[in-house]
Amino acid sequence: MLLLSRFKISGHSMEPRIRHGEFVLVSSLPYLFKNPKKGDIIAFKNKAKRVLIKRISEIKGENYFVLGDNRHDSLDSRKFGRILHQEIIGKVVAKL
Amino acid sequence: MDRKTKMNFKNIFKLLPLRIAYAHCDIPCGIYDPHQAQLAAHTIVRMTQLLGEIKKEDQVKMQHDISRITQVKEKHAQIVEEELETLRNDYFKEEHFKQYSNLNKLFITTLSALSKARQTIDINIAKSVLTGTLEISEIFFKTKGFTPKRQTSYYPDGGEIVVYT
Repeated sequence: MLLLSRFKISGHSMEPRIRHGEFVLVSSLPYLFKNPKKGDIIAFKNKAKRVLIKRISEIKGENYFVLGDNRHDSLDSRKFGRILHQEIIGKVVAKL
Repeated sequence: MDRKTKMNFKNIFKLLPLRIAYAHCDIPCGIYDPHQAQLAAHTIVRMTQLLGEIKKEDQVKMQHDISRITQVKEKHAQIVEEELETLRNDYFKEEHFKQYSNLNKLFITTLSALSKARQTIDINIAKSVLTGTLEISEIFFKTKGFTPKRQTSYYPDGGEIVVYT
């Protein structure tokens, strides 16, 4: 994983903050020295090795409960459970 | 930071390789169909043909027609892109890409042709978008357990459509 990566968003679960088709920058740099915190929007790899974007809602040790901002229309930890620290790629640091 | 500096700043990031990140919704509707992409690809071919047929007699009318036809061509290019990306990202699974080893390349070449079709009025490029869309449609129907069948379209641009039996 590069320190900085550019992603195009596919899907509506992070609306209105991040919309389908928008571009974001994801960086692993913020998590080199600090742990992810509640409220961060993160990119992580799911079991199918696909990159997903969600917001951290709760942290218990190494486990993160993530939710989409668009709660009515989001496939997130409510369905696939908690994600592990090692699955996190980085933090969404900017919208392009 | 002024607007120009901001734009230059954003352009720097375009040098980074682009990947897709999913912000999936929770509606596993299972409704996927390549027909919409086929119709839109046919429209791109037809609009490209019409651009080539524009009469240069009346300058104002010519500019008006070019604007309208290009707008429709662009709109349908967007539909093809969205429909193909939905099939690629949401419908086709890893096992499909393994079973049809040319599928990923087919998406890449078709989407690349689509970008060129937007930028040009080259009928061969427009037709290559349609060809790629038809081939993807054939694979789609096979994965659904149907036999794809090509038949001559009745659209004014000619060409074929893929249906299933």
